[in-house]
Amino acid sequence: MSILLQALLNGVMNGALIAVPAIGFTAIFAVLRYPNFAIAAYATIGAFAAWWVNVHFGAGILPALLVAFAIAGCIGVGAEETALKQLRGAGALTVAIGSIALNTVLENVVRLFFGNDLRGYDLPLVPDWRFMGLRVGPQQLQSLAFAVVIMAAVFAFLRYTRFGKAMRAVADNPDLARLKGIEPAHVAMMTIFLGAGLAGVGGVLIGLDASIDPLLGFRVLLTVFAAAVLGGLGSIPGAVVGALAIGIAEECALLVVPATYRSAVGFAAILLVLTVRPRGFFGERAN
Amino acid sequence: MSLLLAKDIVAGYGAAEQILKGASIHVEAGEIVTIIGPNGAGKSTLLKVIAGLVPAREGAILLGDDDVTRFGAVDRTRSGISFVPQERNVFGNLTIAENLEISAYRDSGEASKRIEDLYERYPMLAGKRRDLARTLSGGQRQILAMAMGLMTAPRLLLLDEPTAGLSPRAADELFDAIIALNEGGLPILMVEQHAVEALAVSTRGYVLVSGKDSAEGPGPQLAADPEIRRLFLGG
Repeated sequence: MSILLQALLNGVMNGALIAVPAIGFTAIFAVLRYPNFAIAAYATIGAFAAWWVNVHFGAGILPALLVAFAIAGCIGVGAEETALKQLRGAGALTVAIGSIALNTVLENVVRLFFGNDLRGYDLPLVPDWRFMGLRVGPQQLQSLAFAVVIMAAVFAFLRYTRFGKAMRAVADNPDLARLKGIEPAHVAMMTIFLGAGLAGVGGVLIGLDASIDPLLGFRVLLTVFAAAVLGGLGSIPGAVVGALAIGIAEECALLVVPATYRSAVGFAAILLVLTVRPRGFFGERAN
Repeated sequence: MSLLLAKDIVAGYGAAEQILKGASIHVEAGEIVTIIGPNGAGKSTLLKVIAGLVPAREGAILLGDDDVTRFGAVDRTRSGISFVPQERNVFGNLTIAENLEISAYRDSGEASKRIEDLYERYPMLAGKRRDLARTLSGGQRQILAMAMGLMTAPRLLLLDEPTAGLSPRAADELFDAIIALNEGGLPILMVEQHAVEALAVSTRGYVLVSGKDSAEGPGPQLAADPEIRRLFLGG
C-alpha cells in the first residue's frame, strides 16, 4: 500500500513540475494555433540560465527562476520573430516542423556554450523527510510549492488582468478580437514570451529534481506534449490536469514495468486520447 | 458631408475572385440604412470591407473627414466603426461581464460606466453577467454581441444579419432594440435577411446585386416596390 502511495506522491510531484511547461505549450497553441516543440529548448535554456546565476553569482532559487523566465521568454520571442513567424503563412504543420528544427538548433547552441556534462545547482544537500512510510525530499516540496504558486499566478493573470483577458479573447476568436481593438500580433508576442518563460521555469524545476544537461528539455518534451493533448490542446486547466494524470500514470507504471519504458506512458496516453476523445479533457480544437 | 461614404468598392477573398465590383453606399447622421439583395451579392462582404476585415482593392472609405481606406480592423474600431458579425460574434469562453469589458480594450477607463449603462439597458445581461457567453440562447447572444459593439462608443454601428436564426419573437425584440439605439442618436448600417421588417424601420435602403448597388431609396418605399418585393422579398 505504501508503495502505491509513494508512487502517487511522486506522480503528483512530477506532474506539478511538468504542468508548468505544459501550460506554456498549450498557451502558445491556444493563441497561435500551432504546437511549438521548441518549448523543449526554452526549458533547457531556462535551466542553464538559472544554473549560471546560481553557480556564478550565488543567486537563490527564486531569483534564478525569475532570470530563467526572462531569458527563456526573450529567446522565445526572438526565435519566433526571426524564424517561426516567417513560416506561419505555410500553415500550422509547417510551423510545427520548423519548431522541431529550431529546437535542435537552440539545443546545440546550449551544447556549444556549456558542453554535454551533467551539472547541478549549488544547493545544500538535505536528507529526505519520512512520514507514514513515505519519503519526500525538501527540495521536491519546495519545487512543488513554486509550481503551485506559478500556476496560481498564471490563472490569476488570465482571469483578472486586462491583458490576460485579451489573451483568452484572441485564443477564442482572433477576428472578433481585432474588431474590439485588440492587436492579435501583440498578444501573440506576449503569449510567446509567457509560454517560453514558463517552459524556462519548468526546466529549472525539473533540473532541481536531478541535474541539467542540453537534453533536459528534449527528454520531457513528449511528457509535456502528452499532458497538453490529454488535457485538451489550448486548455490551460486541461494542461494542469493532463500533467498530473501523466505524472501519476508514469510513476504507477514504474511499479509494473522497467524504468526504460517510462516514456511509453506518454505515447500510450496520446494514442488513447486521440482514439477515444480527440479533444482531450477540456479542449475544443484538438482533432 | 456623409458620416460614412464607401465609394466604388472593389473587393473579394481570393486573388482572382471579386465579390464587390464597384459598390457605393453612404450613411448620414441619425440614419438606419439596410442593405438587401440576393445570396452572394456581397452584402456581408461590404460590411466586412467597411469594418476593415477585408481590404478594398479599389475605392475609398471615408468616415466623416477621415479617409480610413487603408486602416486595418483595429484602427477602424478606434476611428469609431463598430462591426457586429453574423456568427461567432461573442467570446464563448469568456463570461458576459468579461465580453463587455474586453470590448472596450482600447478605452478601458470608460468600461465600468458603459457596462453599468448596458446592464441598465439590457437587464438580461446583468442577470447573467457571470455566465459564459456560450451558454446564452441565440437571441440573448445577439443582444450581448450588440452590447459589445456599443462598448467602444461607436460613431457608426454595423450589424450583419442580426436576426439570423432567431425566433420571430426574438427577432422583433432585437428590432426594437435596434430602433431604440437609433433613437438615441446612433447611426446603424445593417444587412438583414428579414428584409421587409428591416426596410420598414430603415431611413433608407440599398439593393445590392452582383457586387454593385442597383437601387436606393427610403426604406418603406423600397419595401413597397412591387419589383423589389417580387425579386428579393418573396412576393
